[in-house]
Amino acid sequence: MGMQGDFFQLLKEQGYQFGNPVAAAAGMEVPTATTILALKYRDGVLVAGDRRATAGNMVMYDRTDKVLEIDRYSVMAIAGVPATAYEMVRVLEHSFKYYRRTQLQELSFEGKLRAVSKLLKENVPAALAGTGAVVPVFAGYDHEQESAKIYFYDILGAEFEAVEYAVSGSGSPTIRGILHYVNTWGPQPLATLPEEQATIQALRLLSSAAEFDSATGGVNRELNLYPVVKLIKASGVQTIPDADLKRLHESEVLRGR
Amino acid sequence: MYEEPYRWIEAVGNRRQYLDEQFAKGSPVVALAYADGILMLTVSRGTPKLYEIYDRIALGGMGHPADLEKLRFSLLEMAHVEGFNRSPSDVTGARLMKYGLAPTIKQAFEEIYKAPFIAKILLAELGVKPERDLFLSINYDGNFEESLGWAALGATSSVQGRMRRYVESQPAFAQASLAQAVELALCTWAVGSLAQAASESPAAESSSPRVSDEQTEGDGSSLPDKAALLAHVRQTVAEKSLECVLLERRGPGSAKYRALRPAELGGLLPPAVSEPAAT
Repeated sequence: MGMQGDFFQLLKEQGYQFGNPVAAAAGMEVPTATTILALKYRDGVLVAGDRRATAGNMVMYDRTDKVLEIDRYSVMAIAGVPATAYEMVRVLEHSFKYYRRTQLQELSFEGKLRAVSKLLKENVPAALAGTGAVVPVFAGYDHEQESAKIYFYDILGAEFEAVEYAVSGSGSPTIRGILHYVNTWGPQPLATLPEEQATIQALRLLSSAAEFDSATGGVNRELNLYPVVKLIKASGVQTIPDADLKRLHESEVLRGR
Repeated sequence: MYEEPYRWIEAVGNRRQYLDEQFAKGSPVVALAYADGILMLTVSRGTPKLYEIYDRIALGGMGHPADLEKLRFSLLEMAHVEGFNRSPSDVTGARLMKYGLAPTIKQAFEEIYKAPFIAKILLAELGVKPERDLFLSINYDGNFEESLGWAALGATSSVQGRMRRYVESQPAFAQASLAQAVELALCTWAVGSLAQAASESPAAESSSPRVSDEQTEGDGSSLPDKAALLAHVRQTVAEKSLECVLLERRGPGSAKYRALRPAELGGLLPPAVSEPAAT
């Protein structure tokens, strides 16, 4: 009801349906062709994602934005069926705004997390049918605890807090191992990295994923295409400009120059 | 008995008189476009009177808090469902006013067996370009009007007329800085507030019984000077709180609404209001 500031409920009262199961071809796999990662660094959380969208063996699009800002303090990185994922982001974006405007206070960080898992639960039939699975990573700044946090979900809506990092998508097995190695035995733990070092790590990790996973897009220097990298700090969400990514990629990711 | 046309007209007339009285103690609301967006300002006691409706739309109200809440919720619902189902750029002040507010308010006003909304509402909409900034205001009877540059709510049309006369006597403010805009809005607010106080007092009542036409009263008396206006603001602010919100054209993200925090607003006030009184 409107008085409770629940936008999703309002939509449903108006006949809106989310996550309808559609019978899919038998044996269809959960399509999560992408790589997204979130890691804690010195000043907050860094979230990054490649930009490739695929359908089977075909590359559909190389400029997808999979790291989406929901409001000034939260970001959702998506792996899975883009149609469902974008719809989820739209519902969340409107839900958070509607709550703030009706209740005259921000929805708490806990409340935001609940909203994400509620949507995923609504989506279970579609996810199981194979036509709407989404495996998001949600990151945001928790004002009450004064820290940026990372949560990851399974397709059924279970929510897990990531202590140091979280990954999702088809390229994630590759970089999961690297993240563990770098974080444990690297020169310094990820959580102590300054902004630029964290960005370099993200670019290197995504390049590694692209190396071994055909569904993850790497850097395309000819077209000036770089991954999307966003930072979440107390001041809000900030996107690292392509020019900076280009500079870091050339000096810290490429070898032999 | 209201079936007879004359009775009905009489009942509506009574209603106007009743409603006009309800607003007499309310605080005027002023909204104006300045260099970086739109500013809306009022003075409130306890319950806020300025609200965020959508990404580029702010609301200012006068009247009964419960009625304002009801109307505000219906606007929020309409705006968000529309913004979700179509797109945020399809949520416009004009549509909210024409299809959301006006029919509801007019119907409640004319259904004489039921209670009317004790509410006047001002919507400010930040355009993509400055020339498309729009102000829409609606009266308790469902009459609404659009204006460019600025708009204000006051208890009666004569109060609003005086505020208009003041704003029009001032230099152009479309390129004004935020501090200059705050000062102009404060002075305009004070013109309205003083006019309401004057029509409340028994002396004014006896000399000019209920003049509601803006020409008659508007031209009658001269407007107070800036020092007197700011002194009135200063006096009022001592017991009530100033409320000021912005729609910032270059604000981050899609939602352009921002309420000024007291500390920030304090820094923008003209010295005649913020500094301790000279002895």
